[in-house]
Amino acid sequence: MTAKRLRTAIVLAISAVFLLAWAFPIIWSVLNSFKTDSDVLAYPPKLIFSPTLDAYRDVLFGSGSILPNLISSMIISVGTTVVTMLMAVPAAYALARLRFRGKKFAGFYVLTTQMLPPVGIIIPYFLVLRNIGWIDTYQGIILIYLSFSLPFAIWLLVSYFEDIPFEMEEAAFLDGASRLRTLWRIIIPQVRGGIAVTVVFVFLNAWNEFLFAVVLSGNTVRPVTVAMFNFVSVEQTLWAKLAAVSVLAMLPVVVLGVVAQKHIVKGLTVGAVKGGGRR
Amino acid sequence: MTSFTPTRRTLLKTGTAVAALATFAPAVLCQARAEDADLTPYKSAKIDWQQTKGETITVAVIPASYFENLIALTPQFKELTGIDVRFEKIPPAQIRQKSVIDLTSKTGTYATHAADPMYYALYAANKWVEPLDTYLNDKSLTDTAWFNFEDIIPAWRSANGINGKLYGMPYDGEVTIQVYRKDLYDAKGLKPADTLEAYVANAAALNAPNDRVWGAALRGLAGAGQNMYIYPSIFREFGGDWMKGGKLTVNGPEAEAALTWYVDLMKKYAPTAAANWNWPDIADAFSQGTVASYIDAHSSASVINNPQKSKIIGKVAYARWPKGPSGKRTTSIWNWGFPINAALSEKKKKATWLFIQWAASAETQARTAHRFAGPTKRSGVNRTSIWKDPDYIKLMNGFGPNFVEATMDALQHDTDVDWRPRVPQWPAIGDTMATTIQSALSGQATVKAALDEAQRRIEPMMRG
Repeated sequence: MTAKRLRTAIVLAISAVFLLAWAFPIIWSVLNSFKTDSDVLAYPPKLIFSPTLDAYRDVLFGSGSILPNLISSMIISVGTTVVTMLMAVPAAYALARLRFRGKKFAGFYVLTTQMLPPVGIIIPYFLVLRNIGWIDTYQGIILIYLSFSLPFAIWLLVSYFEDIPFEMEEAAFLDGASRLRTLWRIIIPQVRGGIAVTVVFVFLNAWNEFLFAVVLSGNTVRPVTVAMFNFVSVEQTLWAKLAAVSVLAMLPVVVLGVVAQKHIVKGLTVGAVKGGGRR
Repeated sequence: MTSFTPTRRTLLKTGTAVAALATFAPAVLCQARAEDADLTPYKSAKIDWQQTKGETITVAVIPASYFENLIALTPQFKELTGIDVRFEKIPPAQIRQKSVIDLTSKTGTYATHAADPMYYALYAANKWVEPLDTYLNDKSLTDTAWFNFEDIIPAWRSANGINGKLYGMPYDGEVTIQVYRKDLYDAKGLKPADTLEAYVANAAALNAPNDRVWGAALRGLAGAGQNMYIYPSIFREFGGDWMKGGKLTVNGPEAEAALTWYVDLMKKYAPTAAANWNWPDIADAFSQGTVASYIDAHSSASVINNPQKSKIIGKVAYARWPKGPSGKRTTSIWNWGFPINAALSEKKKKATWLFIQWAASAETQARTAHRFAGPTKRSGVNRTSIWKDPDYIKLMNGFGPNFVEATMDALQHDTDVDWRPRVPQWPAIGDTMATTIQSALSGQATVKAALDEAQRRIEPMMRG
């Protein structure tokens, strides 16, 4: 009994260490976002301080407001996610289920596009967008984001589709349902979890992307990841404001995560319970 | 009793409305700020400011107050010349990357950009930017007497020139100087160091980590503009020569002595974390009273004197770089300059030159510095005459004793155009040196091994 308790205590202690390591930067950012710059730098770090909304007021309504940038990020991320999912779901289904020439090659090709280091393709991307006049436009950035989000989404979804027992489809076909109808009515509800996971990842990648954004954007389209850098100037780091922007930039992702969580957990367990099915 | 329970829909609605309001508010404010300004000082120049009227140029700058002040004055430039200027603010690391992409691809996106002086060798070798002498000597474009090019800090002019030709016009710059806590130094009867040896001795005398005071701090973070901004000064002061017999050499005996000094100082008397500090971190630590002295950009004075952050206002004084064993003092030569993109049309090049001439002129420099209406005044003006202006000196002396003297001495006597190796391969060399220096600072490699590794990696770059 005591041995068991001891084990539980050790497991809890180790978990607590990991949790703290994970949570510390977030807690630190949230706390700092409510401090003044002099409180941020205070030693020992102040846990009790008079909180202020100054940093939030400045970054939201000050001269360098990041609201337009949050909106930019939202348009880019939602746009990328919607287009990606519309194309990735049918593509992944096809790769998982249909028999066609070059299927193996197509599946592998999708993966190889993920192998190129982004820095290597940034100049060609810049030139292509420049030539079609899409630098600093939403369609331009979304197009480039599709180049990495789409293969990733397809690759992720294929495994979910493959996990669905073929017999389910067979039953639907026997009842006279068309392939599209089967996909929509039978398959998609089964891979809801997988779709939720994919949506979260695609959205997250687009939301957090920096490298392409900084090169391919300009004054019109300027996501928050790029704008955030204005608070780390060459002169000084504006810690409180930087923390406030970080918290604001984290919010949409956290909300999405919470909303999707129900489906994600389900998505992770579905395959496990039913087992097999992979062919 | 009613309670407010927002549905998802009402929440979304309010959210959108607030967001929309906030998006447009800054635009309204900006419009209200545009003001009429006296253009007479500019109109006394004997050139036609309106000769490229109607042009639009895009200028890339970094997010920094000295550029913000310039941006605030652009309505005056538009009124003077009829040229529209669009500014794009890009973080320092990315502005180099983005402008090089623009220049290699000859797309002419940025008419000019805030350029790193170490990049002119690369720009000039590829003819990506125009030699500015042509524009300076063109009577229709420049009133030589009015612009008074010779008034611009000589060290910055030479730093921005390759083989005697100017490629970027200095706009704002800095030099590295000694910054120290006068109260702590006085309490121990110490004087600001005159030699690198004395600097270490001072640091040793004041180092008291148990009381949370460390003797000194220098930038340790790996980066061409971080530890490779400090180390070259030490290297030159130890008598180092980058181009020994025409071959770039970074692992000679002077290099070993210089890096040993740097590593020892940091290990013994700087906070452990300083190996990863950039200069804002040093200034933050100093302003909290935990560092007794540092050697870094004179422009950091505004941060350590910021009443909202600093606890040591009134306790700071300044001095030049301590002398090295070679008897030399070597400060940094840094300035953000404006080149002209060679991929532009002739008319756009002229418009860009007019912008550069306006930005670098004594009048605009003064209007963005001591005569600027906003809260931040520039400490990096490009004009010797302004550094002699009593109004400006009075403002700068607010930073503490000997600030103007130390800065001017550094600018006039301690600069050395070969402070860093000025070769087209610099971007890659700077990064390589930076990572190897950090491996020595963090104790992963010995000084000798780090320098040999740097030499081994740099040699193929110089061949290729």
